[in-house]
Amino acid sequence: MSAAAAGPRVARFRDVALAVAWRSVHNFLSNPAFLVPAIVFPLFFFVAFAGGLSSISGVPGFDFPSGYTAFQFVFVLLQSAAFGGVFTGFAMARDFEIGFANRYLLAAGDRRGIIGGYALAALTRALITWTILTAIALAAGMEVGGNGVDVFGLFGLAVLTNLAATLWAAGVAMRVRSIQGGPLMQFPVFLTLFLTPVYVPLGLLSGWIHAVASVNPVTALLEAGRGFIAGEPAVIALAFAIAFALPILFAFWARGGLKRAEAAG
Amino acid sequence: MTAEQGPDGTGIEVEGLVREFKNGPRAVDGIELRVEAGEIYGFLGPNGAGKSTTVLMLTTLLPPTAGTARVAGFDIVREGPRVRASIGAALQEAALDPLLTAREHMRLQTALHGLGKSERQVRGQELLERVGLSQAADRKVGGYSGGMKRRLDLALALAHRPRILFLDEPTTGLDIQSRTALWEEVARLAAEEGVTVFLTTQYLEEADTLAGRVGIIDHGHIVAEGTPAALKAEIGRPTVEAVPREAGERGRLAAVLERFGPGAAASPRAAAARLEGGESQLADVVRALDSEGIAIETLQLHAPSLDDVFLAKTGRSLEGAEEEEQEETEVAAETVDAG
Repeated sequence: MSAAAAGPRVARFRDVALAVAWRSVHNFLSNPAFLVPAIVFPLFFFVAFAGGLSSISGVPGFDFPSGYTAFQFVFVLLQSAAFGGVFTGFAMARDFEIGFANRYLLAAGDRRGIIGGYALAALTRALITWTILTAIALAAGMEVGGNGVDVFGLFGLAVLTNLAATLWAAGVAMRVRSIQGGPLMQFPVFLTLFLTPVYVPLGLLSGWIHAVASVNPVTALLEAGRGFIAGEPAVIALAFAIAFALPILFAFWARGGLKRAEAAG
Repeated sequence: MTAEQGPDGTGIEVEGLVREFKNGPRAVDGIELRVEAGEIYGFLGPNGAGKSTTVLMLTTLLPPTAGTARVAGFDIVREGPRVRASIGAALQEAALDPLLTAREHMRLQTALHGLGKSERQVRGQELLERVGLSQAADRKVGGYSGGMKRRLDLALALAHRPRILFLDEPTTGLDIQSRTALWEEVARLAAEEGVTVFLTTQYLEEADTLAGRVGIIDHGHIVAEGTPAALKAEIGRPTVEAVPREAGERGRLAAVLERFGPGAAASPRAAAARLEGGESQLADVVRALDSEGIAIETLQLHAPSLDDVFLAKTGRSLEGAEEEEQEETEVAAETVDAG
C-alpha cells in the first residue's frame, strides 16, 4: 500500500478509535456506578492482600527484598490491568446488546477502529486506576528498589496485559454480542491470574499449584514485574515476549470477532 | 469527511437480493428495485415481511446471502466503507446511549465520521436546531420521549450530509404530532436538499403521504411497485358505503348497491359495493336509492387505499397480515417453549 493510500486509512482508524474511546471514558468518568468499582476493587484487593496477609513476609523462604507491600502491589497492578480489559469487554457486549454498536458499525470508516477505541478507553481507565493505586501504595510505605527504567518496564508490562485482556474480551463480546458473555470473558482471565504465585514466591508453592504456576505464562509477567519493583530484573526477555505475543494473538481473535459481528448483522 | 458521491449518482439499485438465516426462512427472497436520486421510496409491508432485513443489507450491517446491490454507486459487499460514507440511517430501534446528552451524541457522531473539530460543533448545533432539540440538547437522552429520541436519531443520521437516508419505521410508536413533524422534515430533506430517502413503514398513510413511489413487500417478495396513485388506480374501483336510517332496510340497501358492482366489506350497520363504473356512478347510486325509497343516514365514497392494493396483491389486508404475523410469532414462541 502506498503512503498516500495509507494516510486516509490511518486517519479513518484514528477518527473512529478516538470517538469510541471518548464516549467510553466520558461514561466512565461521569458515572460513579462505573468509576467507583473500577477504583475501589483494586484498592480493596491491595489492602486485603498487602495488609491482611503481610505476616506471610515472615515465612521462611520469603526473601523478596522490597517487602510484602511491593510484592502484592505488582499482582494487584497486573490484576487491575487484566480486569480493566475484561470490564471494557462487558461494555462492548452491552453496546451490542442494546444496539448501540450498530451506530459504530454504520458510521465507522474503518471498523477496526472500534476495537482500537475500546482498547484506548480501557487503557485510559487503567491509567486512572493505577495512578490512585500507586499513590496509595507509596503512601502506605511501599519500597521501590528499581530505578526509573525498571518502573517503566513494570508499567509497560501492565499496559500490554491490559491490551491483551481487552482484545480477548472484545473477541468474546463480538462473538456473543450479549452481556451474558460476561462470565466467558472473565473466568479464563480470573483463572489464569490466580494460578500464579499470587501470595508467595513460586519457590514456596508446592504440589499441583506449583506445577500449573510454573507453566502459566502470567507467572513470567508477575516475576518480571516483581523483579522490576525490587530493582533486581528477572525473566525480562520471556516476560516481554509473552507480553507482546498475547496482544498480537488476541488482536487476531478480536478481528475474527468483528467479522462474526459483521456477518451476524 | 462528508458523504461520498458514487460513480453512478446517488440512487439505489438492487438485483436478486437474498438473505437466508440459519434454520429459518428466506427473510428476503430475490428482490429487485431501483430508487432514483432525490426520490422518497416507501417500502411497505407487515412485520416480518423483510423490510428491516433489506435495510440492514443495504446499509452494510448484514451481508446478503445472494444477489447484488449498489448504494450511491458503490457495491454493498465490496465497497462497504464507501457505502457507509454516503448514507445515513435511523434504524428501527434508535441506537442511543441514555447516559449521553443530545449534544454529546452529535459530538460522537460527527467525530466518528471524521468531521473537523470546528465543523463538529457547528454541524451539531445546526442539526439539533433543525429537529427542535436545541432546548433539550444538554439533557441526558435517557429522559427523552420516544419522539425526541426519533428526532435525535434522524439528526445523527444527517451528521455527515449523506446523499441517501435510510429510515426504518421512523414513526412507529410516535404520537401524531411527532409523526407529522418527522414527515415534514423528511419531505423537506428530499425536496430542498435532494436527499434520496428509503423509508420502511407499516403505516399506509405514511407511505401514501411521503413516498413518490412505493414497493410492497410480503414474505420477502416485492408484490407491487409504483407510485401510490398508479398502484391504487391499477386495482382501484372506489367503494360506496351507506348506512340505512332503518336497520331493517340493510338487505334492500345492499341489493341496490350491488347493482353497481360486487359487494365489499363494510361496518356492521352498513352495506358497501365496489363501483364498477368509477366515481361517476355515485349520482346514479343516490338516484337508485331515492327511487327505491330507502332513507340513508350516511353515504360515503371511499377511494382505493394502499391496503386495497395489498389486499389485491396478497389476498389479505395489511392489518390482517399484521395479526397473522403476530400469531405466527406466538405459535413459534409456544413451540420453542414446548420444545
